[in-house]
Amino acid sequence: MPTLTIDGRQIDSPDGSTVIQAAETLGIFIPRYCYHPGLSIAGNCRICLIEVEKNPKLQIACNTPVADGMVVHTSSVKADEGRRAVLEFLLANHPLDCPVCDQSGECDLQNFYMNFGLYDPRFREQKIKKKKAVAVGPHVMLDQERCILCSRCVRFTDEISKTGEFGIFNRGDRAEVGLYPGQQLDNPYSGNVVDICPVGALTDRDFRFKARVWYLSSAPTVCNGCAQGCNVDVHYVLDRPHLNDGARILRVKPRYNADVNQWWMCDEGRYGFGWIDKGRLTKVRRQGAGATWEQAVAGITEELTKVGERDPERGTCLRLGVIASPQLTNEELFLIREIFQRALGARVTASVPMPAGNSDNFLIRADKNPNTHGAALIGLTDATAPDAAAIVAETLEGQLDALWVFGYDLTKLVADEDLQRLSRSLRLFVFSGTNDNPTAGCSHWALPTAAYLEKEGTFVNAHGRVQRIGRAFPPLSDSREDWRVLLEIAGRLNLGFAWRSPEEIFQALARSVTPFAGLTYERIGLHGASLMTDASVAEVAVT
Amino acid sequence: MAVKVLRRRDLTVWEKLYIPQIASGLKVTTAHLLRNLLLHSAHRLGLLQNRRAAVTFQYPEELRPLAPRFRSRHRLTVRDDGTPRCVGCMLCETVCPAHCITIVAGEHPDPNVEKYPVRFDIDLGVCVYCGYCVEVCPEDAIRMDTGILDVAAYSRDAMKLDIHELMNPSLRKPLTACMLEFPHECRLAGGEVSTRDHQRRN
Amino acid sequence: MIDLAVKVVLALFVFFGVLNLAALHTWLERKQSAVIQDRVGANRASILGWRLMGLFHPLADSIKMFTKEDIVPAGADRILHTLAPVFSVFFALVTFAAIPFGDRFLLGGRVIELQVAKINVALLYIFAMLSLEVYGVILAGFASRNNYALLGGLRATAQMISYEIALGIAVVGVIMIYGTMDLQELVRGQGQNLAGWIPLWGIVVQPVAFVVFLTAALAETKRIPFDLPEGESEIIGYFVEYSGMKFGMFFLADFLETILVACLATTLFFGGWQVPYLTSSGFQFPWGATLPVSQPAYVLLGVVSFSIKVVIFCVLFMQLRWTLPRFRYDQLMRLGWLGLFPIAVVNVLVTASALAFLKR
Repeated sequence: MPTLTIDGRQIDSPDGSTVIQAAETLGIFIPRYCYHPGLSIAGNCRICLIEVEKNPKLQIACNTPVADGMVVHTSSVKADEGRRAVLEFLLANHPLDCPVCDQSGECDLQNFYMNFGLYDPRFREQKIKKKKAVAVGPHVMLDQERCILCSRCVRFTDEISKTGEFGIFNRGDRAEVGLYPGQQLDNPYSGNVVDICPVGALTDRDFRFKARVWYLSSAPTVCNGCAQGCNVDVHYVLDRPHLNDGARILRVKPRYNADVNQWWMCDEGRYGFGWIDKGRLTKVRRQGAGATWEQAVAGITEELTKVGERDPERGTCLRLGVIASPQLTNEELFLIREIFQRALGARVTASVPMPAGNSDNFLIRADKNPNTHGAALIGLTDATAPDAAAIVAETLEGQLDALWVFGYDLTKLVADEDLQRLSRSLRLFVFSGTNDNPTAGCSHWALPTAAYLEKEGTFVNAHGRVQRIGRAFPPLSDSREDWRVLLEIAGRLNLGFAWRSPEEIFQALARSVTPFAGLTYERIGLHGASLMTDASVAEVAVT
Repeated sequence: MAVKVLRRRDLTVWEKLYIPQIASGLKVTTAHLLRNLLLHSAHRLGLLQNRRAAVTFQYPEELRPLAPRFRSRHRLTVRDDGTPRCVGCMLCETVCPAHCITIVAGEHPDPNVEKYPVRFDIDLGVCVYCGYCVEVCPEDAIRMDTGILDVAAYSRDAMKLDIHELMNPSLRKPLTACMLEFPHECRLAGGEVSTRDHQRRN
Repeated sequence: MIDLAVKVVLALFVFFGVLNLAALHTWLERKQSAVIQDRVGANRASILGWRLMGLFHPLADSIKMFTKEDIVPAGADRILHTLAPVFSVFFALVTFAAIPFGDRFLLGGRVIELQVAKINVALLYIFAMLSLEVYGVILAGFASRNNYALLGGLRATAQMISYEIALGIAVVGVIMIYGTMDLQELVRGQGQNLAGWIPLWGIVVQPVAFVVFLTAALAETKRIPFDLPEGESEIIGYFVEYSGMKFGMFFLADFLETILVACLATTLFFGGWQVPYLTSSGFQFPWGATLPVSQPAYVLLGVVSFSIKVVIFCVLFMQLRWTLPRFRYDQLMRLGWLGLFPIAVVNVLVTASALAFLKR
């Protein structure tokens, strides 16, 4: 391994690595436009100039392989001078329409200009006019004037999405990024070109003009769109309701996770957050009329205490069915198992029929639920558990007297009339979920619960990786987290649970369900942790 | 804490007599009285107009000359075609320490302009007249040079200026008809928003 | 019968004259203060577009006062609350009855004294009325059921009683010199000339008494620099609970007192209606020239002379008001008891000694 010196610090860097990577491991940031760790190296923006001793000219850090004994200065006067000159060229035709540019505030041209700006411009020539505000696809807007021709987007469509829509056309100062004739940027990963574009050339049409980026708050979470569980940052605004018609979430950006999604995410997940702010259940409803949480918890618990007792009229035991959801967190599924399956002997399932969605071998999974794997581990979808159709069928046959549905819309299983009949025949029919649907309309109690962004918890993705979802902002109006509701009911049923938070529930889960053994919120951290395999379980047992 | 004792100066015998002191005070006031009386009389006769007898400005009729940097009610500057110069960059909304500016941006039909404010409200009941919005504007789209000082209303709602009043400072509430040709959110009838040709989403 | 009619006419003349003067006084106060302070002063009230330098403001003020809500505080003594301002104005007004504003003149064989009531102890009468005025103040403070008003009333009472003593003793010197308490006689007594060319006015023979009298009289009117009883914006006075015309009456009483003091100063120390060198037969200048003046013109000149002197005093008081700051309460009391009172007593003793010496 070659040993080199960067800014006076020595580092061993593997063969074939470049100076920019070696500097990054030292925590030294070298400016870059065209360089992206997930893409091939182009070396055309020239902003990453560094001074290498015994080398007469400045080198680009992104494409200079490390060599033994190399002495590199990343921020010498000469390097800074070179970058200043490069930036002067890059800005020669840049329109400087920062006021209307959605990138401003997170734009690398702006950021680096603060360090290497030539604050007294020398160009007096007219700037070249190119096309502005071109909708290159359903999600992306192109502004050719702002482009600095770093070719990140071209390389992305060539190498990652492998669709190859983008190219660079013409030469010299007329060179411009554009689509090949007849092409549209409509691949399922098109939103990523907006993330990687270092300037405002490619912007998000969905986010366009909705807000300035400095209004946004960010919270790390995990996409709940499919079983892949891509790590994302959710950008939201709470204090300026006029900006987005009152909706809190403005956009979703992928968060780097080497083991799950690297730097990318699919458009489906990126733009599929509308339900969190629209069509939500906001009030507790009893038979369609308004009610309070206190009434709901008291009324439901009263009915639940009768589960298992003998019905004097029919002479049979009262029985409960629960249709849980793989949209719920492990903690909530665990609570459902403990309360309904173990304590009340209910028929519980988390396997709900879902039409298989599109999939590919990159990031998009056919299973559109984020926590199917977790539900299986907790034992709510395995072979011993019934599925939702079976429970609905049993209910229609009159074998079940009470039913609790978590978020699922039963009209996907039964006809409307059957749902009505079911509603009438049941002693207790609870629906708890985030959004309104026909099942909520037929239920005896409709409970508004928090969306995944509004609560703490964990999901297990298709590869058996436990990942935390963070609480970005508090639940909308009157809605409450499912775990809070379940804990309250458990308290009323005197089940003796001592847990007060998702973290404590997770500790109990880790003690109870083997694959989770040894995991804590702290160990899962921001990037998640793999579940115990059989081998590692044995290892834990030994130690 | 160090204590510093300041003794009042004792009065001299001359001062203790009071009367000479009273007389010197009377001298000052009487000098003013006579000088101003003379000047007032002279003004009546059209003389000595360049010397003022009183510092008073007879406000509604006679406006006090404002300093060039004086910050009065805001206005939005206008392009030749009658549309606002503002591009909805929201820098003023960002910098506003009182949070009195509300902007919603929209897509401008001309891609060279690209962005414009669909809604631009300033709540003068909240504004502190610091002038940061003018300072920060990259387009010279907002100015505080209308010279309007008499901002008063009977309700808090009426203190909120919308894009009509901001673009045309001579307008006064209640406004009746919307004269603006470009698409915007119209708030003429109180708080209710009537969207005119609202093409916010492209 | 005709005597009575003459008296009624004279009374009405004084009554309206004084009230109008009081109204003008408010205008003068505003304008004079404005001009002193480089301002313009009230000039907005107008009738048919005529503003007349704000001369309509007293009118507008009185309309305002009459139409404003009259508030009596909850739990206050209604009758006394109403009576207090009436007392103030009444005693201020009746005092004017003893002030002579012109020499006697003959009309249809009758001798008419230009004085509402010819009282041979007019000065006593005036002091009696001034003392009674305290009742208006203390009643206002008491009847308002407001601690601040009560304290203001007590302050005012203490001040008025204290300064009345100095005031009375200062006047004793004048009485001794002219040997009468009848004001008309007193004014006539000032008609002689000293050494042939100095009019023998009170100021000439009693300058110390004049200063003491003027100071004490200003304190009596409760105006700056002696306005502690009122101190409207800072220390709150006895009429804090008054509004509308009741408040207006206190204000009016204030202005009436100012005019009264001006009249008294004129009468006692500046020869009343006397015009220098003018006798009932005409001017007799010290250098020997004479200018005959007819009887009505002589009387008229007297009235005019009196009026001018009064107005000059009013203006002087106003000028003092806008020149001097307010006394502190202890300063006020010290000035009254340790300053004016001994000086007045000494003045009386000196005057008495001088008179005794001269008589011998």
